[in-house]
Order: sequence, then structure tokens, then C-alpha cells
Amino acid sequence: MAHITINQYLQQINEAIENHEGSFCAELLSFKHPHVANPRLQLASPEEKCQQILEPPYDEMVAAHLRCTYAVANHDFVEAYKFQTLVVQSFLRAFQSHKEENWALHIMFAVTLDLRIFANNAEQQLQKKGKGQPGEMLEKAAEQLMSCFRVCASDNRAGVDDSKKWGMMFLSNQLFKIYFKINKLHLCKPLIRAIDSSNLKNDYSPAQKVTYKYYVGRKAMFDSDFKTAEELLSYAFDHCHRSCQKNKRMILIYLLPVKMLLGHMPTHLLLRKYDLTQFADVTKAVSEGNLLLLNEALSKHETFFIRCGIFLILEKLKIITYRNLFKKVYLLLKTHQLPLDAFLVALRMMQVEDVDIDEVQCLLANLIYMGHIKGYISHQHQKLVVSKQNPFPPLSSVS
Amino acid sequence: MNRWTTARITQTQSSSAPSGGQRTQRNKERCRSNTQKKEVEEEGGQGFGKERKETVPRASCQTMCPAQELRERESQNRLHHFEVVPGTEAFRKPSGDPLRAVKEYSRPAAGKDAAKPSDLRLPDVLLRTVCYLIDEIVGSPSPHPWTEVYSFVFDRLRSVKQDMIIQRLSGKDCVAILERTVRFHIYASYRLCGEPLRIYDPRINDTHLQEYLSWLFDCYKTGAGPYPNQEEFQALGLLYNLGSSAATQHVLELPVRLRQTPSVKLALAISQAFLAGNPVRLLRLAQKLDFLQACALHRHLVTCRRHLLLIYSHGFSSRNCRFPLDRLARLSSLEAPLAAGLCRAYGVEVNQHNQVVFSKSAFAEPAQGRLECKLYHGIVSEKERGLAVKSIIHGCS
Repeated sequence: MAHITINQYLQQINEAIENHEGSFCAELLSFKHPHVANPRLQLASPEEKCQQILEPPYDEMVAAHLRCTYAVANHDFVEAYKFQTLVVQSFLRAFQSHKEENWALHIMFAVTLDLRIFANNAEQQLQKKGKGQPGEMLEKAAEQLMSCFRVCASDNRAGVDDSKKWGMMFLSNQLFKIYFKINKLHLCKPLIRAIDSSNLKNDYSPAQKVTYKYYVGRKAMFDSDFKTAEELLSYAFDHCHRSCQKNKRMILIYLLPVKMLLGHMPTHLLLRKYDLTQFADVTKAVSEGNLLLLNEALSKHETFFIRCGIFLILEKLKIITYRNLFKKVYLLLKTHQLPLDAFLVALRMMQVEDVDIDEVQCLLANLIYMGHIKGYISHQHQKLVVSKQNPFPPLSSVS
Repeated sequence: MNRWTTARITQTQSSSAPSGGQRTQRNKERCRSNTQKKEVEEEGGQGFGKERKETVPRASCQTMCPAQELRERESQNRLHHFEVVPGTEAFRKPSGDPLRAVKEYSRPAAGKDAAKPSDLRLPDVLLRTVCYLIDEIVGSPSPHPWTEVYSFVFDRLRSVKQDMIIQRLSGKDCVAILERTVRFHIYASYRLCGEPLRIYDPRINDTHLQEYLSWLFDCYKTGAGPYPNQEEFQALGLLYNLGSSAATQHVLELPVRLRQTPSVKLALAISQAFLAGNPVRLLRLAQKLDFLQACALHRHLVTCRRHLLLIYSHGFSSRNCRFPLDRLARLSSLEAPLAAGLCRAYGVEVNQHNQVVFSKSAFAEPAQGRLECKLYHGIVSEKERGLAVKSIIHGCS
């Protein structure tokens, strides 16, 4: 592969196209394949040669691909991205002309993946030179991917086996990756709706489904829909192949906070297995109602939590921590009429700054409103009066 | 197979690093001339000197309003009363005052050459224009209602923005203009709160304010600096967009040095209190804000006070509840009569002894239009005392 001539290469592609060999053709157009390092293929102007051997629009597509290999060899990802755009555009023209056949799906997967990767690399190169708006190239790449998605989603004529709809989940996943990176999560919604209403949604490959549920789960987290997030992320974690430790760890980073909000604390064993001991102190603090330790733990690993985008959700754990702390006060005093002062003392012991009775009332009122405490505050008696039955319902039962 | 992925993942290597691989000298030269050509054609960016000026539109207008436009609008009687020679307002065709006329915003259209140098104002003229608008229009006493002042300044600032975009202005000049523009829009969002929709639409103000903020933050991020006002604006942005995960995440990702500044720290603490559903703490912290920060926050006060009444309706819900109105007023940063009015709007009962009788079944959303944010502006307006609008917007308060 690393030494074939340009003619041999073009002949192979031509044959693959004529024989509808989607997978093999995809390899010949993918940057994961060794042919991209072959200097004989890195021509500055391959158009003529391509036109001699290939039919349009494949000639343009392959010519652009070869120009891309040239650019990549020079580490010019901005150029590479521009040419990859042409590859995808030409491909799409061909793809649209394939009526009731989907053999080219693998090619689509390969070229769209490379498009996204080059967009990433190009942006990084531009940033280093202080040029270009962050997210600009990724947004353009996303528009291209959406065009491909529309072609797939609107394939209503072909039978199930030949349908282009099988490409929808892969493209959704690519688009999710971009939307999460450029922080435009609202753009995920139409994709999720399209997949949800598709009759193929449970039949995509396990790997695609895991990736899909991972991103949709993260979106649910962002929308504060924690029950849905837990379902989706748990599925992704359970079905993610055990050899993909890195991916399992990534899923866990988002699954853990959601589970903790629902009252399920991870074991230390699990945290050690996946190298997520940053969560260890957080877990301990929340279950003990130890606000001091929680604040310390959040502060200590702030950079990690912020980078993963879970810092804000972990802050929500404070409410659960208050609930656990106050429950301790209740268990200690063994009465159903608890003086507000006792809670104030507990908070001050946890070194919460500037807290007074007014704020204690506010915190308790909030917990009552959220269903974490069953009872009411009596201002006249300065007491929290709790229900005699189950005053602190289990966290998992509170939405 | 994975040997070749290095071609893709070497992000650490800059494109100017010597590239390996067997290529002929001819190919190398072709590559270099190709990339050079691309750089010249590339739009935007800094530090390209000669090549850049060849493609970016040049500005040469030295006045706030291009001469041609002034003549045209004067002859078509389309001058604003702020732009005419004083004393000629009542004439059938008032005369335009070149010292007061300001280029107006015009929608880009096919066939219209927006890049004519004589129509594009130079960067220092743009800043001068903005300062004029603030000093003479916004900050000066006028017989005209402030809604008119706002409309005029809004439009003229939009035209300044247009000129900035066309000539790809960036750096310190751009920041100085944007900072004042943002302050103006934040102040306006408070000052015109409650005006009828046909005169002032808060959503339009919001849309433009978000664009200006976004551009300003981009300048801070990609520019060389230093930007001494950055802490002020990061805090304003967070307060204005309280509750937005995107805005909060943006601030969390700022360098530690910025996050530790007093303004940003306070804004973050307020944000935390908001996200934790702790209105008592939020309102207490809000006392520490300065006037403009309070303007930025003010539209969230409604949500905050509503939440307070809601959770207290649940938390204190009992037949014998007698919560002192005065205390509630203090917690809500309102005078007692206003606090009583707010309770009534949400269906919360206040008895004749000035005690609030919270009940979770009583709380209800106010009827359409019954709740006027403007009535409850005390927490903001009291900070305005003694401040001149001019200095608020220039940032010298």
C-alpha cells in the first residue's frame, strides 16, 4: 500500500466503485489507511490523472482526497480541511444519485470522520496563530454533516436492507461530538427527534448505540432530566465493551454525579478501578453530610471537574449534603420538633460562611419544597416540625 | 496500521516545522507558494501587514457622519432632531449640523457598496462618535423622553458596529467601543424596564447585548491585552445571564487570576446561590453589587423573589403560620408595603396584623400583566443616587 503507483491506486478505486465494494473503497479514502503516507500519491495536481480513470463526480472526490494527503503530509490542516470539504461534497453528489442502494455508507463514514478531525486540527492550528474564530470551522463541518444526514433521513423509498437510513446514527454521533465541543447543545434536539421516530433505532450496531446514548444522556444531564440521564448513561456503561476502559471511564465521569444526585454512592473499588478517585472525597462528603469536606473536595479537583463540565452538577450535590447533614441532626436529637438553632450550629461547625437563622429557614424551606423533608417550619416557635413517619424520604424516591 | 495516524494527530507540531517525508524540492516550493497565496486571501487575522491591507476595506471618513450621507439626508429631510442645527428644528427643512450628525445604520443590500472608504469611519473617529453619543445624547438633560434617546443611540451604535465589522477592527480600539456599548445596553435594560412594547422591546435589546458581549469576550480571549476592565465585564456577563449553564461554564473556564477578582467572585457567589435555589443568600449578596451590576442582575430579581415566596409557601405551610411581613420584606430587599403587594400578586395571604400566612395550596402565578417588575426596582435604584449616567457608561464611577 505504501508503494503502489498512482495508476494502480486509481484502478483499485475504480474497480471498487464499479463492484460496489463500499468497505474497500472506504479504506482507500480513509486517513487511517497507510496509503495516505505514500509519496507517489501526494500529487499537487492530481485532477488530470483522476479524470482519465474515474467517472465524475468520483474523479473530483479522489482528486480532492489526494490533494488532502499532500496537505496532511505538510502538516497543513487548514488546507487539508478545505480539500476534505470538497471530498464530502463530491461524495454527497454521488451518494444522492444512488437510488435504492446504500453500499457507499462506509465511504460516507470514513470521509465524514476525517472531515471532523481535520476541522478540529485546523482550528487548533489557527488558534496558535491567533487567527480564526473558535468553533467556526467545526460549525461549517457540522453543516456538511447535516447535509449528509438529510440525505440519509429522507431515504423513504428503499427497502430496509438498502436504506440509507442506516447512516443516521453514525452521523448523529459525529454531529453530537461537534455540538458538544462548540457548546451548542440545542442543535442536538432535531437529531434526537429524528432517531427516536425511526423504526431502526434499536437495530444499529452496539458500538453506535453506546456512543449515541452517551451523548443523549449527557444532554439530558444538561437539561436537568436526571432520571433519563441515568437510564441512558447506565445503558452506555453496561453495554460498552470491557476492553474500552477509556470509554467506560468517560461514561462513568457523567454517570457518577447523576447517580449521586439520586442517592446512589459509588464504591471505592469502582472509583479505583477506573482511576476516578477525584470522586472519592466528594462521595464521602455527600453521604456523611459533611459540607466542609465537600467544599474542599470540589475545590481540590476544580480544574478536572470544570474541564469535564460536571462542576455545576456536583454543586447540586450540596442540596443533598444539606439534607444528609440535617437528617443527622434529627437522628441525634430524637425529637420531631427540632429547634432551628440546632441546624445553625451544625452549619457553623461545617464552617459555612455568613450563615444565620434566616438562611437556615431558607435552606429548610427549599428542602421541604423539593420533597427531601416532610414537615413545616414554625416561625413563632423557631422550630422545624417534621412528620412522624418517614420525615426524610429516601433520595431515590424524590424526583 | 496506526503508524500513519501520526499524520493526523501531530497537533503539537506547527505548520512551519520542517516536514519529513520524501518529497522533491519542486513539490516543497509549490507547497510554500500555495500556502502563501492562501494566507493573503484569508480574511481577518492580525499581523499580516501589507497583504492584509490589500484585501480589507480601508476607512477614510474623519467625521461622525460621512459628508455625502449628511447632504442626502438633509435634502430628503431625514435628519433626526438630535442632528440639526439648534434653532432650525421647526424649519420645513432643518439644516444638518456636521458636529451633531451621526452616520445611521443601514441594512446591507445587493448593489450597495458598504466598503467605500469615504463612508467608513476611521477607528479613532468611531470611538469619538461613541463618546459623543454618551456625553451629549445619553448623558445630557433633554426635553425628549429617554425612549427616544435610546432609539437614536441604539441605531447609531449599530452603525458604529457595522463600520467596525466591515474594516475588521480588533484589539484595543474595538474593546474600548464594545465596553461602552455593553454598559449602555445594560443600563437601558434597567432604565426602560416596563415601557410599553411598541416603544421598547427588551428582547431586541437583549439580542444585541448578547452579540456585543460575545464579541467582547472573543476580543479578550484572542487579543494581546492587557484589558484592565475585563473583570468588570466577565462579572456583568455572568450576572446578566444568571442561570445560563453556558455563561456559568464560560466563567468557570476563565483563568484563576480572573476568577479570583472581587467582581467575578461576587458574581460567581450570586450564581451559586441562584443555582442552589437559595434566594435569601442571593438577595443578601446582591446588596454588595454596584449600580451597573445591579442593572445587569435586575431582570432575574423577579424569578428570585418568586422562588422565595414559592419555597416559603411550602416550607412554612401550616394553619398557624404567622410570618412577620417586615422580616419577609427585609429578606426580599423591599419596603413592607411593596412586599405585601408582591405577596398579593402571588396569592399569598397577608393578614391585618401584617403577618404572612403561608400556605402551599395558596401560591399561584400572577395573572398576566399584574406583576410589574418596575415597581420592585428599589434595590437597584437606590444604588444610582449621586451617579451621572455619563460616568456609568464610560466606566469612571
